[in-house]
Amino acid sequence: MSNYANDKPFIFNGEINVQSINELYGDDYAYIEEVFDTVLKEYELLTNNIIAAYDSKNTPVLKAAVHKIKPIFGFVGLLKVQQQCQQFENTCHSATAFESVVDEFGSLKNSLIKSKSLIEEEKKKLELFNNQRA
Amino acid sequence: MSSLACIIVEDLQVAANYLEKCCEKSGQVAVKGHFVNVPDALAYLNENTVDLIFLDVEMPGANGFELLDQIAFSPKVILTTAKKEYAYNAFQYNVSDYLMKPFTYQRFMEALQKIQPSGETVSTNSASDHIYIKADGKLIRLNNDAILYIESMGDYVKFVTADNKRYITHNTIKNLEEKVSKQHFLKVHRSYIVNLHKIDDMRENMLFIKGNEIPVSKANKQDVFKRLNII
Repeated sequence: MSNYANDKPFIFNGEINVQSINELYGDDYAYIEEVFDTVLKEYELLTNNIIAAYDSKNTPVLKAAVHKIKPIFGFVGLLKVQQQCQQFENTCHSATAFESVVDEFGSLKNSLIKSKSLIEEEKKKLELFNNQRA
Repeated sequence: MSSLACIIVEDLQVAANYLEKCCEKSGQVAVKGHFVNVPDALAYLNENTVDLIFLDVEMPGANGFELLDQIAFSPKVILTTAKKEYAYNAFQYNVSDYLMKPFTYQRFMEALQKIQPSGETVSTNSASDHIYIKADGKLIRLNNDAILYIESMGDYVKFVTADNKRYITHNTIKNLEEKVSKQHFLKVHRSYIVNLHKIDDMRENMLFIKGNEIPVSKANKQDVFKRLNII
């Protein structure tokens, strides 16, 4: 007999592209929780590298640091943030002076902060969801 | 397909874990190791051989292509990056495919299907003074003395001859290395086999053959020195 709790899909935050998550992991929610957990563990180091590059006003290093973090947003379905990273890389690539990336970096930094909170929340929700299914 | 031994060279943990899961699910790839930097991967590859490397290009310290420059054999390579500026290098290094992170399992399997053994397009015995290659729909005899060098072109190779002809055939440097005359030919780079008798001069990490510049990898440089008649 089908167990209703086991059939119930997880409801992701509206910022997360559910189709992308489904394509990558299907309904393997235990693995999705693992992915979110791994991303959180890497997040601080990756963002610290970005901040350090920004503080040193080194545009190529900043671009490389943003490039490095970019895929993790794809792994957790935050495709808009992934695109924002790509856009910032493009800006860095064409920038002739560090000052020309400052405004866009402010916006990206806000997204990085918000994304971390969102991933943390989703990870907690996934953990609860998976515990209830167990 | 039989099981392929592979390593993953990737400093993003979530990507490496996902890749490992895809390999396991495929049942076609055995992951022998995961390395987060080039020196660690190189240390492993100096002691072990693998069929396939999943390689991130941009890593701290050294990039992925530097790893390929330093290993003495020619595994298949799937890049886990998608930067267009790597396209030329990828071509030089016989990269089978690119995977843009994150990729679906279906896309992973498509990349894996490109890892196929090369067709038998060269007929030779290594002691012979010639080889036959399949090109332009026929078997063409090439005397060893007529061949200047052989260059990798992805899943194809190009034979460049003394009369300035170019013959392109489906094969790999790895396969040819075993088949061509050891007396005449030596692999000097993962993408090049040269006719030792045709080398005009050598400067630093480059060989010159009839005006053609051929790179010599660090891993193969000592072999080149051993085989040249240096007095």
